[in-house]
Amino acid sequence: MPSASSTAPDGPGVDSTLEPGAVRTAPTPLPPPGGRRSLAVRIARVVALAVGAALVLAFPALAPNAYVLSSGVIILSYAVLATSWNFVGGFTGYISLGHAAYFGLGAYGTGLLITKAGVPSFVAIGLSALIVLLIAVPIGIASLRVRGASFVIVSIAFVLILQLVFQALGSITGGSLGLTVPRPFPGLLRPEHHRVFFYLFATLLVFVLLTWWLIDRSRFGTRLKAVREDEDKAESLGVPTRNYKLVAFVVSATSTALAGGLYALWFGDLDPIFQFSILLGAYIVLMALLGGVRNVFGPVVGALVVGVGLEFFKVNFGNTQFHLVAVAMLLGIVVLFMPDGVIPAAVALVRRFGPQAASIRELSAAELAERERGVRAAAAARARPADHGASAADGDRDRPHEDPRTTGDQEER
Amino acid sequence: MSTTLLFQSLVLGVLLGGLYALLAAGLTLYFGVMRVVMIAHSAFLVLAAYLAWFFTTQTGIDPLVSLVITVPLFFVLGIGMQRLLITRLRPESLTMMSVLLTFAVALFIEGMIGLTWSGTQRRIQLGYSGSSLEFFGAQIAVVKLIAFALAAVSLVLLYVLLKKTQFGKALRATIQHKEAAQLIGINTDRVAGLGFGLGLATAAIGGTALSLDATIYPSLHWAWIGPLMAIIVVGGLGSIPGAAIAAMVLGISQSLLQVPLGTTWAQTIFYVALFATLMVRPQGFFGGRLAQRF
Repeated sequence: MPSASSTAPDGPGVDSTLEPGAVRTAPTPLPPPGGRRSLAVRIARVVALAVGAALVLAFPALAPNAYVLSSGVIILSYAVLATSWNFVGGFTGYISLGHAAYFGLGAYGTGLLITKAGVPSFVAIGLSALIVLLIAVPIGIASLRVRGASFVIVSIAFVLILQLVFQALGSITGGSLGLTVPRPFPGLLRPEHHRVFFYLFATLLVFVLLTWWLIDRSRFGTRLKAVREDEDKAESLGVPTRNYKLVAFVVSATSTALAGGLYALWFGDLDPIFQFSILLGAYIVLMALLGGVRNVFGPVVGALVVGVGLEFFKVNFGNTQFHLVAVAMLLGIVVLFMPDGVIPAAVALVRRFGPQAASIRELSAAELAERERGVRAAAAARARPADHGASAADGDRDRPHEDPRTTGDQEER
Repeated sequence: MSTTLLFQSLVLGVLLGGLYALLAAGLTLYFGVMRVVMIAHSAFLVLAAYLAWFFTTQTGIDPLVSLVITVPLFFVLGIGMQRLLITRLRPESLTMMSVLLTFAVALFIEGMIGLTWSGTQRRIQLGYSGSSLEFFGAQIAVVKLIAFALAAVSLVLLYVLLKKTQFGKALRATIQHKEAAQLIGINTDRVAGLGFGLGLATAAIGGTALSLDATIYPSLHWAWIGPLMAIIVVGGLGSIPGAAIAAMVLGISQSLLQVPLGTTWAQTIFYVALFATLMVRPQGFFGGRLAQRF
């Protein structure tokens, strides 16, 4: 098996993998005249981003009490987890229901390194993430050898096995009694503690989002997406699928572990039932899918919606099992009716009222061929009338789409 | 370890393996006909156990009688689930999305059980709960024997159904190659629906058997789904004999390991076997062409 670096990254075969992607973007058949709309969209995006960032930064000051602030910390940690999950779920399409395993390992690793080995708090987070990285490699190799179904089964099994092991190893991990992690800033009062960790989680979120965005734009990311779209084709065109999947998986597991470590320092009390919880894994998947796995901010939006919902249920329905039913219904609705998430669903809804433009979401080969035919016909029709002043501009607009580094997802967001 | 103890755990392992085999056969059916990994299988198992418990506490009749209601009910539920939920998913991402969908169903069932009957642990008290038989020096609880007998009879019936009937042939053809089965005139959608119904019926039988000698609570299904998933991967996804053999082997190993290692560590045998299988033979030990792609 050739390593990722040894295969020629610029092979023509790899580029042609992406032609479907390029074709998928081409059909904005009749773009509105000029670049006004795209400029407006770009400005709107920057403004939205700035407003979002400002809201996040101002949240601790706006939060009326410590409870709301701590909910904010939880939601931010969910956002980090969902975005980390998205490295694997979004790029490669492999759905892991067991990311709680890496979260728990990161948390317990940090806690144990601090309490048993006396490592400084923030060094412990890094060390435990490193350990998780080393654990994730063999797990990834084992579970990525097979497609889809077995991968999910392994991801679930890994959480269950860790829950068993960490409960059984009571003498080291504290078992069901829990593990108390000393606070990194013992002098701080509780609201101050929440505030500090709010910003720490926000920093981690920015870091994870940035990584995701960079991968999304890179050649590496494009090849991962080729795996998602059609693994056999990607492999036959020279993408070293196993190694690429493995890298995405390890990156995902490691950043999940970082979130787990930070959580351990913030929450200060770990229990196998809650750290290695299959339910947490389901929440993560739900958040990412709800927001949309193909958008950088999709998982963040999902985390916000699901996180607020979960807090709402905790406050209003307390100990009943109603939150399970609610989460189940939400997950079912998302999977059945908007598997691409709310952002694409909302965008599609808006588009239906705007100028005609086709959705570029997941297409079958047949649909793709049909669309390609339609686009060619449209292009031919467009080339004929002489009064089409924008045709030169159109040509320019279409060219960047053929650039292998960009795929439809980003262009049409 | 004394010979009696060894023999006793061996017998218990066989009894447990029988139940695992029945349940894993159900999981394999779903996977075979629809390429669906049915996380909710064990949730339905627990639901059936709760229904048996509810039936017995309300009427005072033996929980085995509840099979008359639960088996047809679950069969219809299975067909409905396949028709109304699974077929709505996009074919390209069916396997992945079906995991999430059935996960949602499992959570829904767990939540509804908790809401209806609360999270309290439940157990059926029967006249013969405490009685046991002596079998070559091994003490075997009668309820475990009944559970095994139920599982064994159902497995034999399933085998006969699959091997000897026209429908069984159609079902196996659908599992082996869906398109080819369609070409020779099999209505694979209908067969898939019935296959789903059969799978859920195994959960109904397993649940009733479970209710005889286990304490049940809403989140019990997580303890079952892991081992069952491991079994179908080790056996080879889609292979019913593979699932049955893996279930027996792993059930017996678990039972034997319980003596020196204790219950918790003995359970890890399933996961060890799962990882070992994926490393050595990812398509499972009895899986054919089908398993290789999943």
